[in-house]
Amino acid sequence: MDKIGLYLGCLIPTEQYAYEMALREVLPDLGIELVDVEGVACCGAPLRHINLSLTMYLSARNMAIFEKEGLDILAPCPYCHQALSEAKHVMENNPALKAKINSNLETEGLTYKGTIKHYHVLDLLHDVIGIDNIKEHVEEPLDANIAAHYGCHLIRPNDIPRPDDSENPQKLETLLKTIGAKSDYYKEKLDCCGAHIMVNESESALTKTGQKLQAVEEQGFDALTTLCPWGHRMFDAKQEDAAKVVGGSIDVPVLYYLQLLGIAMGKDQNTLGLTLNLSPTDKLSFIEEEI
Amino acid sequence: MVKIGVFICHCGTNIGGVVDIDELVEFSSRLDDVVFATDYKYMCSDPGARVIKEAIEEHELTRVVVTSCSPRMHEPTFQSVIEDAGLNRFCLEMANIREHCSWVHKDKKEEATQKAKELVAMAVRKSKTLEPLKSFQKEVVHDALVIGAGIAGIQASLDLAEAGKKVYLVEREPSIGGRMAQLDKTFPTLDCSSCILTPKMMDVARHPNIELLTYSEVTEVDGSVGDFDVKVKRKPAYVDWDKCNGCGECAQVCRMKGRVEDEFNEGLGKRSAIYVPFQQAVPLKYTIDPNKCLMLLSGRCGESPPCQDVCELGAIDYEQEEEMMELNVGSIIVATGYDMMDPNGMYEYGYDHSPDIITNLEFERLISSSGPTSGEIRRISDGEEVKSVSFILCVGSRDQDLQEYCCRIGCMSALKHAYLLRDHLGDEVDLNICYTDIRSFGKGYEEFYRRIRDGNTTLIRGRPSEINVEKDGSINFNVFDTMTQKLLQVNSDLVVLVPALVPRKDSGELSQILRISEGTDGFFLESHPKLKPADTATDGVFIAGCCQGPKDIPDAVAQASGAASKAMGIISREELESDPMIAWVDEDICVGCGVCIDVCPYSARELNEVTGIAEVDEILCTGCGGCIAACPSNACIHKNMTKQQILRMIDEVI
Repeated sequence: MDKIGLYLGCLIPTEQYAYEMALREVLPDLGIELVDVEGVACCGAPLRHINLSLTMYLSARNMAIFEKEGLDILAPCPYCHQALSEAKHVMENNPALKAKINSNLETEGLTYKGTIKHYHVLDLLHDVIGIDNIKEHVEEPLDANIAAHYGCHLIRPNDIPRPDDSENPQKLETLLKTIGAKSDYYKEKLDCCGAHIMVNESESALTKTGQKLQAVEEQGFDALTTLCPWGHRMFDAKQEDAAKVVGGSIDVPVLYYLQLLGIAMGKDQNTLGLTLNLSPTDKLSFIEEEI
Repeated sequence: MVKIGVFICHCGTNIGGVVDIDELVEFSSRLDDVVFATDYKYMCSDPGARVIKEAIEEHELTRVVVTSCSPRMHEPTFQSVIEDAGLNRFCLEMANIREHCSWVHKDKKEEATQKAKELVAMAVRKSKTLEPLKSFQKEVVHDALVIGAGIAGIQASLDLAEAGKKVYLVEREPSIGGRMAQLDKTFPTLDCSSCILTPKMMDVARHPNIELLTYSEVTEVDGSVGDFDVKVKRKPAYVDWDKCNGCGECAQVCRMKGRVEDEFNEGLGKRSAIYVPFQQAVPLKYTIDPNKCLMLLSGRCGESPPCQDVCELGAIDYEQEEEMMELNVGSIIVATGYDMMDPNGMYEYGYDHSPDIITNLEFERLISSSGPTSGEIRRISDGEEVKSVSFILCVGSRDQDLQEYCCRIGCMSALKHAYLLRDHLGDEVDLNICYTDIRSFGKGYEEFYRRIRDGNTTLIRGRPSEINVEKDGSINFNVFDTMTQKLLQVNSDLVVLVPALVPRKDSGELSQILRISEGTDGFFLESHPKLKPADTATDGVFIAGCCQGPKDIPDAVAQASGAASKAMGIISREELESDPMIAWVDEDICVGCGVCIDVCPYSARELNEVTGIAEVDEILCTGCGGCIAACPSNACIHKNMTKQQILRMIDEVI
């Protein structure tokens, strides 16, 4: 594969710019040409519990647009990725719904056939680009013990295809080892980031965020890495708030995996959006002081 | 002149409640060559049989069509009925309008009646060309083979040997005893497992009718019921068992002593590279582990191998080679047991994350006085005192993602362990059992459960979602008790997982060798789930114990005795009647290409060198039909199931 259509969703282009910067910087070096496609809309996931068929329709519509361009999809946001996966899964198993959605899509001259694949950064790196290929690009292996955070949407539910196992995901650890880092097991690995209840129950949400960060800190990790803009926002931007809620100070550098990969590949750190990380990333020995 | 009688069974309301019987009788009576058609409530009953017999005499019937249930159920019944009335038993044809019609179309009565008519028409059409066939006799070999020497295999062998038959008992491990030998006590009576097993093992060893082939595997089975040819691979023990007296000095001096994981102790202890699995082993002969012995792996072991130096009897023999042995038996009993599911199949239970999370089989070794700790219960990680133990039942069992079925022993084994722990560690120890439903179905089980329930063991109805191992090694988990509707947090020094029982990992290979089937769960499939629990689809091959499905010791022993008596039913006979529904070669068409000889799994085909034509050995042929499908010139014909007959049946419906 060389070309892939980029589907950013909502949070990355409005707030989590660092994720986009890192992926636009790193992936082309690994032989992936990112193509922006016009006309896509919301993935539908935030509406899922209000109107499921609307969610299916929106995801199908997005996929139909990429399908028309003949492009597979890269959805770096696990929330979007899950919406696409679910829509694909439901339509594969429910021809009546597929027909109904397609009749709606017809008004725009679109059809969803189900011929293209969609990837998240995790499986794109691990399964498509490949560990050996990444290894060849690593110039400065990272000497650090980095906690892996998968989040929930990337691995669950296990009855629709997800990029990794729902109980024992290991691809992110493998990717961390590929860039020279260590990634020890910690029992809080699959714990919630809190993002989902942030709007209604922010104190409970920040308790989850704070407890996980504390666990990471107490177990001697140098940093936490994420693959999800929602989780990243909680651990990175909300770290101070979370510390207040759980009563203590928390000092955990939080980075997107693609940022770590870029550093290990010897990229100019200015291009990886590191200044946008609000957590104390400068604690890490491999982060340059003056960016 | 063919005269056909059609007999339609209501099977109570099974058929009669769906298919319009009157219409079917009327339809049948109008078919060509049908001179008589009638119906009866239960054709398989005595009065039903009388209806058929009287009709045969009165109307001088030459062919009989019974439309009822599957021929698997009652073909032999009706064959006997028409034989009694003077017809050849192969002049019967059956139309299955129950399983193939009324049961599956019970909501569509009209269509079901139409389908029943077509099935009857097909059967009538075929019956016209049925040939009277003659069964013939074949001699029976009076010896038996039992594969697997756990409690089920031991019981079956002893039963057969006591009845005066020669038994070959094949076991792949160096000792007999199986899983039961690993257990400490047995529920619900708390007999010491080895105290009741060891005498049976000794009986096996001493019995003049039993030839024990340990450290051996069955690799090939040919032939059919009454006369199986079996090849057994005898693995080299690298010790001359005729010389070895089991003194054990070799294991004491082995350079690998204390360095090899001990399978019998489920990895909790260490052994030498030369070993007996346990001290009561039968036979008490030493075996060298070829994957661990330095001499076998690298050709040298220090200056000279100490085991060889110390053995005064000169029993060590590194040159020993694998031997093949050929047996001829009349019947085979399979009792190969089970494997325990790897608890890592449920990763969230943390089996790999702490040495203090163990399986119940490991716990058996831990609490056994002959185990690695001599029965002392201490934390495995640090040897500290155990203050609380939790049992997690249904690990992988009754789980739609893993094994859907119940393991049938987990509940009782946990209750037993709770009892034993209370006995060993006193009132101070906290005991928790997380269960789904306590299934105490066996004799005396409910009473045992009540004893535990009335004591101070905490029974929690719920499955933990995950088990946490803290950095300091302590273990805790949350579990929602569905009885009290409370989320409980449990701290535990030792967690005992009770995993699902699964088929042996290589049971698929054995099922191919024996040509027996496996169910969807992977266990060997019995002929009938209720009425033929020890039979398989292959005549003469029987199954017993956990290879057929999870079960406790009493059930395994009962099934083993059942299998032994079924096997006796074959090997105690002088001759067996052979099914004449087999392959036949049309000599005018056969060109002697030999394709059929290659495909025949029973070695029943041979090329006659004089005539240049392929022949069928009628004793060996089972009528599987392989050669008929393979023959490029249509010279192979299945008796009473010819291509012409099948085409005429198809003509009836299209």
